[in-house]
Amino acid sequence: MEPEYLLARAKDENILEKGECGGAVSSIFQYLLDCDLVDGVLNLSHGEDIYDGIPSLIEDSKDLIETCGSLHCAPTMFGELISKYLQDMRLAVAVKPCDAMAIKELENRHQIDGDKLYKVGLNCGGTVLPITARKMIKLFYQIDPADVVKEEIDKGKFIIELTDDSHKELKIDDLEDEGYGRRVNCQRCEQKIPRNADIACGNWGTEPGWTFIEIITSKGKELVEKARENGYIEVKAPSGKAVAIRGKVESVMIKMAQKFQNKYLEENYPSLEKWDEYWNRCIKCYACRDACPLCYCRECDLEKEYYEDSGDTPPDPLTFQGVRLSHVCYSCINCGQCEDVCPMEIPVARIFHKMQKKYRDQTGFTAGISDELPPLYSPEKE
Amino acid sequence: MSGNDPKIIGFCCNWCCYGGADTAGTARMQYPPNVRIIRVMCSGRINPSMILKAFKEGADGVFVGGCHIGDCHYDAGNYKWRRRAKFIEDLLPEFGINDGRFRFEWISASEGEKFQKTMEEFYNTVKKYGPLQRSFSK
Repeated sequence: MEPEYLLARAKDENILEKGECGGAVSSIFQYLLDCDLVDGVLNLSHGEDIYDGIPSLIEDSKDLIETCGSLHCAPTMFGELISKYLQDMRLAVAVKPCDAMAIKELENRHQIDGDKLYKVGLNCGGTVLPITARKMIKLFYQIDPADVVKEEIDKGKFIIELTDDSHKELKIDDLEDEGYGRRVNCQRCEQKIPRNADIACGNWGTEPGWTFIEIITSKGKELVEKARENGYIEVKAPSGKAVAIRGKVESVMIKMAQKFQNKYLEENYPSLEKWDEYWNRCIKCYACRDACPLCYCRECDLEKEYYEDSGDTPPDPLTFQGVRLSHVCYSCINCGQCEDVCPMEIPVARIFHKMQKKYRDQTGFTAGISDELPPLYSPEKE
Repeated sequence: MSGNDPKIIGFCCNWCCYGGADTAGTARMQYPPNVRIIRVMCSGRINPSMILKAFKEGADGVFVGGCHIGDCHYDAGNYKWRRRAKFIEDLLPEFGINDGRFRFEWISASEGEKFQKTMEEFYNTVKKYGPLQRSFSK
């Protein structure tokens, strides 16, 4: 269907105040729970500080208030949580583009029933690792990370708010030049607006206190309409200028991502010798496999005796990452979880992303976006 | 065979390429004895992991032979294999293995001569590359 745009905000005063950009997303979740359209809402609640986000299942709409507001330092993944633990529930999920991509790939593999899900997409310019965030706030902002009460990414700047209501902001570009800023896989990510969700919400182009919503599917259209009819949100049409600004922000970010892809996957791509150095560090903890939202086999080839390296470390990369690559790389959504969890700091996501790009260039299959499984699974004669 | 002679693993499908090897044998056509043939029921049964395993265990070259496109005994197995083979060609260089060390070909049971010719060519290619020396070391 043709995309539709609108601005929305909460009617509930509490949510209007605590929510991000008028709290439209929280209000939509509230509507879904109150009207018993879903059994639960899956989103992030605040942990101890702003660097801590905890994936939470909310079953009572009163608890939604705890999940209001955005967190940019919590690179979590919902896809695997749903397929492993919440398969039988009707859910609404707040998804970043990579969450939506993981869910899509799992849907294609019949690990998630898409009919049971409302995917409320959140535009995403990237996430920051909690440890990196603390380090850079100390180093570049010269502030104790514990004194930060809120963070925000806006107009290319990472903005922090302190206990005394003052703000401090630095350009993300400058932080990234120094090796800080967003996670590297987020820097490479081209999917800034989750057009594989039902609706995509964000603050690009919007006016203060309103959420910009792009309606993508008919399910999303009905959701927003019903939420409005039932008095949870109010909506208005965005100005042509707002739509244009949003489009511009997106295209600038995509161009930047392509630049970063070039930088990380071509120009500065590790040499074979460098890769060997990385592979030699591997302690075979299987964390990359366990964290991967796409790896769902109950019996893993890596643990079969004919591929297992008789318990030796480091394992031969050919039959460790090589086998993993041959199983999932064409569907790699570049979420970066493998790299995040690697205790030996092997940049695993880079080789996966590079292979997915090669595969995409040859077959046109884009992981997490295309509606069918990769052509490698196809029974067709072609 | 001397120690420097290349080791080649050849996966041949039961219905065509393995028959082709048989035809070459019964007709006493000479081809390099370096290829160790493993019979599989269909080229569509071969997955990238098996190729990787062969290289890991010390093969200097890996060959896969299936039925001609359109002739698969199981209808579409070789189409599936062809898609995987293309992927393998992309994957091997990432681990420092020249994709010339991997070859696949369609050979029917009557094509003993094609089997002989292919083996000679592939042997020469792999011989030219020399023993596979992977920089990854334990």
